[in-house]
Amino acid sequence: MVDFAVFVAPLVAGILTGYALRNRWHANVSRATFATILALIFSLGFSIGSNNDVLSSLPRVAWNAFFMAVLAIVFSVALVELVKRRVKLT
Amino acid sequence: MIKYILAALIVGVAAGYMTDYSGYAPASGWAVDLLFTGSLFLLLFMMGLSFGLDKEAILKLKQTGLRILIIPFTVAIGSILGGLVGGLILRLDLFASMAATAGFGWYTLAGPMMGQLFGAEWGAMGFAVNFIRELLTIVTVTWMVKVGKYAPIASGGATTMDTTLPAIVRYSGSDVLVAAFSSGFTLSLLAPFCIVAISTLGRLLFSVICL
Repeated sequence: MVDFAVFVAPLVAGILTGYALRNRWHANVSRATFATILALIFSLGFSIGSNNDVLSSLPRVAWNAFFMAVLAIVFSVALVELVKRRVKLT
Repeated sequence: MIKYILAALIVGVAAGYMTDYSGYAPASGWAVDLLFTGSLFLLLFMMGLSFGLDKEAILKLKQTGLRILIIPFTVAIGSILGGLVGGLILRLDLFASMAATAGFGWYTLAGPMMGQLFGAEWGAMGFAVNFIRELLTIVTVTWMVKVGKYAPIASGGATTMDTTLPAIVRYSGSDVLVAAFSSGFTLSLLAPFCIVAISTLGRLLFSVICL
């Protein structure tokens, strides 16, 4: 439960702040967001690179990831095709 | 944009490897941990901010009718189901597998979140699953449109509001533009909630079994 609160709090705080400021503030947050993403991906890479067990498991991780991505796509497409007929989306 | 992200990942892996090799890992590891946690919370806050500031997103949703929301919710269920089946076949941690595919293609968020919640190996997995999903969506789009007008949108998941939107509109036609955007927007909003909810559920269930 701690994780849930810790991760959802900044997201909800952001949404509420954005919603409150939407008519007064016209900032473009995309550049700042991109800089944050680079810092974040660098630290993810660091945590992978500094762990020898993880480094040696990367080839297996890549194959598993490919398989999981294909399954996620196949199930998403198949379900949407099924549901589309039921609710008659044009 | 992709090349900068991959560069940051490679530089990070190299830096981590070198500090580990040279024995500086404990000291610098602490600083990078702080950067990791800090930037993840900052990203979640900023994504929330851009969702809250986006007036057009809600307008677009109203324009097409709320019925279109059936697509992103179906995609969410399909993706998580894909993770469950994948985890069963590969004999991996089922909750981690479902959380990994609940990134819906948003690898810059799912990778770091998975890393924080399930450790570095699942961080790599979360990044790779969703990165590959985005690549496959772009590569298969011409083939997907033959399956159905909404198939590329289902394949793209959260990425259909920005990165894969041009490719989808080019092959599915401009009449799916609003549907693609609305679906991607909704799934981007759902992704962080789903990842952390699946992880929390897994932990709760684990502690119940241990009792």
